[in-house]
Amino acid sequence: MSHLLPFIDTRLQFETTHEPPSLPEPQLPPTKNINASTKTALLVENDESLLSFLRSFLKNDGYAVRTAKNSEEGLRLYRDCAPFNVVLINYCVPPSNAVGIDYLAPQQPHGIGLAIAIRQINPSQGIIIAALAYRNAGEVPRPPELMHIPFITEARNSQLRGLLEKIEIDRMIEMLTTKDWLKLQKFADFRVRGLGGAARGRTGEDLLGDALLRTLIGAESTQKGRHWNKDVDFVWHLTGAMRSISTCWKRQFKETEPHLISEFPVHDAGEEHSLLDSLASQHAAADQRLIEQDEEDRVLAMFKHDPEATQVLQGLLDGLKKNAIMPRYGLDERRYAATVRRIRVKLLDRRNGVDRGDDHDR
Amino acid sequence: MTDNKNYEDRLESLMNQLAESVLGLSDEAILAETFEAGADPQQEAERTRLVLRQASKAFDNVNNRLSNLGHAINPNDWRCEQWGYHNNCLNCGSSVSLTTTTGEMRGEALDGLCPESDQYTIRKREASRR
Repeated sequence: MSHLLPFIDTRLQFETTHEPPSLPEPQLPPTKNINASTKTALLVENDESLLSFLRSFLKNDGYAVRTAKNSEEGLRLYRDCAPFNVVLINYCVPPSNAVGIDYLAPQQPHGIGLAIAIRQINPSQGIIIAALAYRNAGEVPRPPELMHIPFITEARNSQLRGLLEKIEIDRMIEMLTTKDWLKLQKFADFRVRGLGGAARGRTGEDLLGDALLRTLIGAESTQKGRHWNKDVDFVWHLTGAMRSISTCWKRQFKETEPHLISEFPVHDAGEEHSLLDSLASQHAAADQRLIEQDEEDRVLAMFKHDPEATQVLQGLLDGLKKNAIMPRYGLDERRYAATVRRIRVKLLDRRNGVDRGDDHDR
Repeated sequence: MTDNKNYEDRLESLMNQLAESVLGLSDEAILAETFEAGADPQQEAERTRLVLRQASKAFDNVNNRLSNLGHAINPNDWRCEQWGYHNNCLNCGSSVSLTTTTGEMRGEALDGLCPESDQYTIRKREASRR
């Protein structure tokens, strides 16, 4: 498989291809203790050049790497040291008795057998299969249970990095706690409710899904989407993405909102103007304004028997911050927090007719 | 209209500040609030987790499908449009769209093999050598 190395677009490739396989690699950082490392990878690859390239790539990306040169060794390492953040397997890795007897049809490549065996141990284990003898993933024979595992047919840095990031993001989704999910959900719901008509029927779930999709696009490309910096908490990252997406939705809505008839310019005699020729209005359409006003009235009516909540609501509606609202209405920290809590609970209470699926369609 | 702000800005200001206030809540507080709002915290959390799982799976599905059909897309070229996200095959130019909430994907790129791809010119020699 070493003839395929010219496809590898990395400087490291050239450093490693000319290196005798048996020599030590003093230029690489020492392998971290696999148990102490934050990111771990199992690399099952028998081709020395490719092994060297992939190991360097993973180490440079912060992974502590275990390597195996056949599927039997790979499975043993997996059983001993799992879980790994990622397992990268050569499709054509040499056979293994253990895997062959238990899992493989005779004609099935051993890399596939190993992947199946690992998925049976841990169904959510992130796996990448390198099938560099093929031109694209579509032509690589594989069983139905591995249809969703990513196959790479070229050892490209950008593709590998994108797949590793995708696996990390999926891992984070599984690691978030109940409290994290609830925060994300409520944050999204409030942001979408704040859009009013600009939400165009979208829900908090739409906003959250969009935030993740942009993160996934950002995993493949740092130029588009929202790249997740691993130093930033994942919940924090997603809330940041939701802020910017909801702001973008509102801007798009303003750019395309309908005009008032009264806003159209006076036409010259005999000259017709298309409605599309005119610029977007700087003012919300009248019906839209009525919807927003109605929503504000509805919110205030929910708290008509709660004077403190009404005061805090008025302050928040006026765009005041906590530090301005508290002295204005003589509230201390504790009373302010308790009041905001009552507002949050009541506004998201489905018994008050709030349902994330339809409240924006009203 | 109050304080020179229109109603849409006032509503946005209120809801955005409430959104921010959620982030500072303790674990116990967020659970208690959810319960008080008439919802089961576990069910709510699971429902939200499913949203993200579905979005992630939709992204995988569209990439795998395109890859299997021999289409090649540039991840830089995904753009947000009216109906979800949109991209085009670099080889044949056919389009593909994806929406995360439903996981729905559409576009002629998903209808068949990329005519410009050299798919199925299988280089089995390496595989068979092993």
